[in-house]
Amino acid sequence: MIHVAAVPATFDDRGLDQFAQELGQWPPPERLLVDARGTTWASPYGLVALLTLGQAIRELELPKPRLAVPDSDDTRSYWGRVGFFHHAVEYFDVVGKIPRRGGDAPTETLLPVTRIAGAEDVHEVVGRLQEGATRILTSELKLEAKATMGFAMALSEACQNIVEHAGTGGWVAAQTYLWRRRLGRKVAVIAVSDAGIGFRRSLEPLEAKKVGDRWGDGAALESALLHGVSRFRIAGRGQGLAGIKRYLLRWHGKVSIRSGTARLSVLPDWDDDVPLAEHLPMFPGSQVQITIPAQEASGR
Amino acid sequence: MRERIDLAPILKDTVATAYCDLVTRPTGVTVRQRVEALIAASPHPTAQLDFGSIGLLDFSCADEIVAKLLLNHADDRPRFLVLVNVTEAQREALDHVLENHRLTVVALSNDGARPSVLGWRTPDLLAAFDTVIRIGPGDAGRVADALGWTVERAADALQSLALRRLVQAASGTYCPLPLS
Repeated sequence: MIHVAAVPATFDDRGLDQFAQELGQWPPPERLLVDARGTTWASPYGLVALLTLGQAIRELELPKPRLAVPDSDDTRSYWGRVGFFHHAVEYFDVVGKIPRRGGDAPTETLLPVTRIAGAEDVHEVVGRLQEGATRILTSELKLEAKATMGFAMALSEACQNIVEHAGTGGWVAAQTYLWRRRLGRKVAVIAVSDAGIGFRRSLEPLEAKKVGDRWGDGAALESALLHGVSRFRIAGRGQGLAGIKRYLLRWHGKVSIRSGTARLSVLPDWDDDVPLAEHLPMFPGSQVQITIPAQEASGR
Repeated sequence: MRERIDLAPILKDTVATAYCDLVTRPTGVTVRQRVEALIAASPHPTAQLDFGSIGLLDFSCADEIVAKLLLNHADDRPRFLVLVNVTEAQREALDHVLENHRLTVVALSNDGARPSVLGWRTPDLLAAFDTVIRIGPGDAGRVADALGWTVERAADALQSLALRRLVQAASGTYCPLPLS
């Protein structure tokens, strides 16, 4: 038997909840077919989440899932150019034609889909982002030099979260795009996802008793993002997420973390998301999205 | 007298990367250990950490290197730390982590501006620090005259600066750290 999980036509942070619903029971009791044939667009968040799914299934030693690639030539080509298929073939039996790797990454790509397994990988992605993306961030998003450094800092801290807390590897990608309907401006987005133990299990030994009956994915996210709690009982730990939050408040950005069945966001005034969403369909690991909008001319 | 410690070559020895960014905790730990060894071997009481060739400094590395250096200093002899050639983005990371620890350090920015205090501070602490930098070595009376304060208030602020190792104190005289 095979269980078919359809990928939404538009696969972004909001689409992930719908996709997680499609997955049904976790871990999946049957082999999965991830059906992306009808998908026409995926954000970096969607792409790294798909890889996380494949990785989580492999780490559970379940049958390798199948991935039916998008019917759209443009979408397939785009996924190829941002490096998605290069990694996907490792975790999925890919059904359908995929483009050979090659060609330049799309111009809006700040960082192609990249694996994060250790501290050296964090050095590499931070260096590459600064090398390749500073011009885009300053010219197209009108970010000051200080803000572009902050963007790289946020990337570094988000990736370190994988290395330090997940207990396994993960993925990162970053891109700019135009949020015509949601914001009417360009945004830069960093998406980080891992197939690790998640915030609840990471913080459980330290926090569960303190929080009591409310303990769960949502409470764990609140502890980490709002109260700076880290599983390491050393002064100074937990500053990474606090630093990201401070940076985003300053530049009117948004951070959203999904772990297990909950998602917590620190929201700017332009976003209509709920701060805490609980009882969502289960998705493995943790997913972080950091969004920085283009600065308005009258702003600073 | 001071020991100048350039962080870029230490970073290059620590991580195999083409870039010059101080990022990640493991990198911060290794760099700090190298810095601690250099400070321990130095005959000079003041160490200057040179950020001149460093690009990005993230919160984790700011915490592991600078905050832990300040927290870990041995009390067997006075040690002073000055950060030099610090960019504005690096200052923000340092300010954030030092404030969280209620620590302070003297920094010189890369644009030649006057020395400043990063991290936790009070208005009196800043005013006294700026005055010592401006008028040079002096006692509480001199600082009090310069600021129009009582001697007690100036003495409190100077004592706080000395305890935080932002100035050198000897026999009631407070001197700026060697900054050049």
